[in-house]
Amino acid sequence: MSEEKKQDEILEEIANTEENTTIERCLTFNAGGLVLYISTKYVIEIINNHTITTLPLMPPYIKGIINLRGQILPVVDIQLRMGKSETDYTSKTCIIVLDIDSVPLGIIVDSVRQMIDIDLKDVKPIPLKRQQKMLDGMVTMEDGSVFMSVDCKALADAQA
Amino acid sequence: MDNGMEGMLDTYLFETNSLLDQLDEMLVKDEKVGEFSSDDVNEIFRIMHTIKGSSAMMEFGSLASIAHHIEDLFFYIRDKGIDSLGAEHKKELFNLMFRSGDCLRGQVEKVENGEPLDTDMDSFSAEINQFLKKISGAATEEEPAPVQEEASGDASASNSLPDDKTAICFLHVFLEEGIGMENLRAFMIINALKECELDFRYYPEGMEANSETCAIIIEDGFYLAFDTVELASTAEDILKTQGHIRSYELVMVPVEEPKAEEKPAESHEAAPAAAAPSPAPEKKQPAAQKATASNSPVKQSLISVNLMKLDSLVNIVGEIVITESMVTSSPELAQLNRDSYDTFMKSARQLRKLTDELQDIAMSLRMVPISGVFQKMNRIVRDMKQKLNKDVRLTLVGEDTEVDKTIVDSIQDPIMHMVRNSMDHGIEDDVQERIAAGKNPQGEIILSASHTSNEVIISIADDGKGMDPDKLLQKASEKGILVKPANEYTKKEALGLIMLPGFSTNQTVTEFSGRGVGMDVVKKNVESVGGSISLSSEIGEGTTFTIKIPLTLSIMDGMKVTVGSSIFTIPIANIRQSFKITPSEIIRDENGNEMVERIGGFYPIVRLHELYGINTEVTNLEDGILLWVETSDRAFCLFVDDLIGEQQVVVKPFPAFLNCFELKNYGIGGCTILGDGNISIILDILSLHAAALENI
Repeated sequence: MSEEKKQDEILEEIANTEENTTIERCLTFNAGGLVLYISTKYVIEIINNHTITTLPLMPPYIKGIINLRGQILPVVDIQLRMGKSETDYTSKTCIIVLDIDSVPLGIIVDSVRQMIDIDLKDVKPIPLKRQQKMLDGMVTMEDGSVFMSVDCKALADAQA
Repeated sequence: MDNGMEGMLDTYLFETNSLLDQLDEMLVKDEKVGEFSSDDVNEIFRIMHTIKGSSAMMEFGSLASIAHHIEDLFFYIRDKGIDSLGAEHKKELFNLMFRSGDCLRGQVEKVENGEPLDTDMDSFSAEINQFLKKISGAATEEEPAPVQEEASGDASASNSLPDDKTAICFLHVFLEEGIGMENLRAFMIINALKECELDFRYYPEGMEANSETCAIIIEDGFYLAFDTVELASTAEDILKTQGHIRSYELVMVPVEEPKAEEKPAESHEAAPAAAAPSPAPEKKQPAAQKATASNSPVKQSLISVNLMKLDSLVNIVGEIVITESMVTSSPELAQLNRDSYDTFMKSARQLRKLTDELQDIAMSLRMVPISGVFQKMNRIVRDMKQKLNKDVRLTLVGEDTEVDKTIVDSIQDPIMHMVRNSMDHGIEDDVQERIAAGKNPQGEIILSASHTSNEVIISIADDGKGMDPDKLLQKASEKGILVKPANEYTKKEALGLIMLPGFSTNQTVTEFSGRGVGMDVVKKNVESVGGSISLSSEIGEGTTFTIKIPLTLSIMDGMKVTVGSSIFTIPIANIRQSFKITPSEIIRDENGNEMVERIGGFYPIVRLHELYGINTEVTNLEDGILLWVETSDRAFCLFVDDLIGEQQVVVKPFPAFLNCFELKNYGIGGCTILGDGNISIILDILSLHAAALENI
């Protein structure tokens, strides 16, 4: 009897901790007409006004490299990466500097929105078969808007 | 294992390896003369003694036992004088020593790789013993460990308590039997106690430096002398945690005796009493003296530093140089009035001088003489000489040439391979052949290194039979690696065939070369450090391989050029000339490929903007500038918009994220940050040639 009770307690504990870890702080931003989010554990900083040095013989979504305080950082246009067409950069355009499992990387986005907490339990898979799989989930917010999750693993692989 | 032990292991490996290197070097040198100098006998004795000692301390039994036997052998030789050995014995001794060196090295390698050591060293030890017996003739009574005989004389007087005036009590410690190196183990225990900041003295004194105390400790244990009983009991607790202790006992000294003698003791008995207040420095002195006495010709004041730290230092210095030029060329300076501008520039010049100096020093830190690699070749030539039964001498030129550490590491294998090739394929198999050709019966391989302003040139030349281009062509066509009809190959191209994968001219596979890895691997290795390799050969006169490697990999002189809005940097070392041309000078082939004539040769023109798809207004050849670039045996002209100027740049690799695009195969070697913070792409002429001209 007591044995069983103990087991219940443990299960409950696990459930509790799981609940605690499913909430993640995320940075939301606009790109290619969508609202995307990315977990803050990957985000290092947000910069703007950087001169991008283009590299020859690169696919169009790799915009080039920037000099971030002596470190060479590759920059990807996430809009092009998702297979959308290019739009002009505005004053709101900025680069989000990411570190995805120690792959440093910058992504160009239309504008940055805000930080929100997202419960990973609410994230649903995207119910469409696509060729470009840069997004790996979607979540509906309280006001009815839909945010999409960026697949960081796919982002860190330059060719996929 | 805890960190302390790891650090000790590192030190042990570093030390033992450098000792073995030293041993090798000495043996090769001595063998040339056919004689051990008495200095070297002492030195080998010392090396073996050190290896024995440290190996026993690290509990590597097999290493300790081999070293121990060699030590015995050299003890005998040192005693009798090297001249007591016949020529035959000496030759045998050399062979034995080379093999023991290898054996020790093999064991050390196992330690490095964390593999278990061979436990059975008896056959090898027996061999050494047998040799010892042989040279000592029938006099077997002299053979068993002469070291201990001597020691037993000193040991006689040590049955009572040691002579210590201030001590109140002693701890009498016995070590386990048969653990070996008792004096060092005892000293380790003593060190452990000292680390706990206990004040005590120990007997016999100087045990760490004097291996003769070994016998005393085995016989009679060792003593720790304490001034108070409390100290002794704390020490007792610590002793319990130490290994290899069989037993210990606490011995009290009768109190009235020491007090009476305390005063005179200080003036008369210099050794034990004066040592009492500060035992540590006193103990160290004899050891240090001993070390300097025997080491003085070899040891310099060196420290070993982690290469990673050096790399980051070089990186930071590079950044400082760049930042400095960023500050001094800042546009805001124009707003200063004249006087303050002058003052600023004065200080800036001073800063410039200092950063230049700093950069030089930082770069020189990574430089090591190439002699380490060269010396190893001595050994290879020696071994192969015996196996192949060819008489060859190796001449080293410019051993003290300094090269970046990473380069040294990566060229060792290529050089070794080429020396083996020269020994195996280059030098004639039959001495009669050499004599018939009017050459010195002894073959010669010359290994030389020299500097130019920005390259190291290493050449491996033999005076053997040379290579026959026709044979090479025939062989290549058998292998099916010819890309055009054999009669169209020039001599240079034919010789270059041996660098192709899957090419080996020797019919049979020998022990030394022809193991499948051929010159193509050598070439790849050399190219991986930015170098190039070329060869020349005359039939009957010999073959020369020449390797050219940039002095350092991280900083180089570059020429900045523009193409459209991009800035590229081309290594100055690759540029032969820059010039403008008129339309009449352009020559076109049937496909419209452009060429230009320069000093008797025709060179293809590579338009960088077309190759890289860059938009630029300069598309007429006469509007831009042509750069005549060259690397190893490839030369072509690069068409760019304009030259900006020369600059020293710090080469940075591309982010790993971009690796999958294999930029290196398209002529892009790296990038660098310019003074204004912009990034410039560094072109790699060799792969640019491959991308632009070979794949068409």
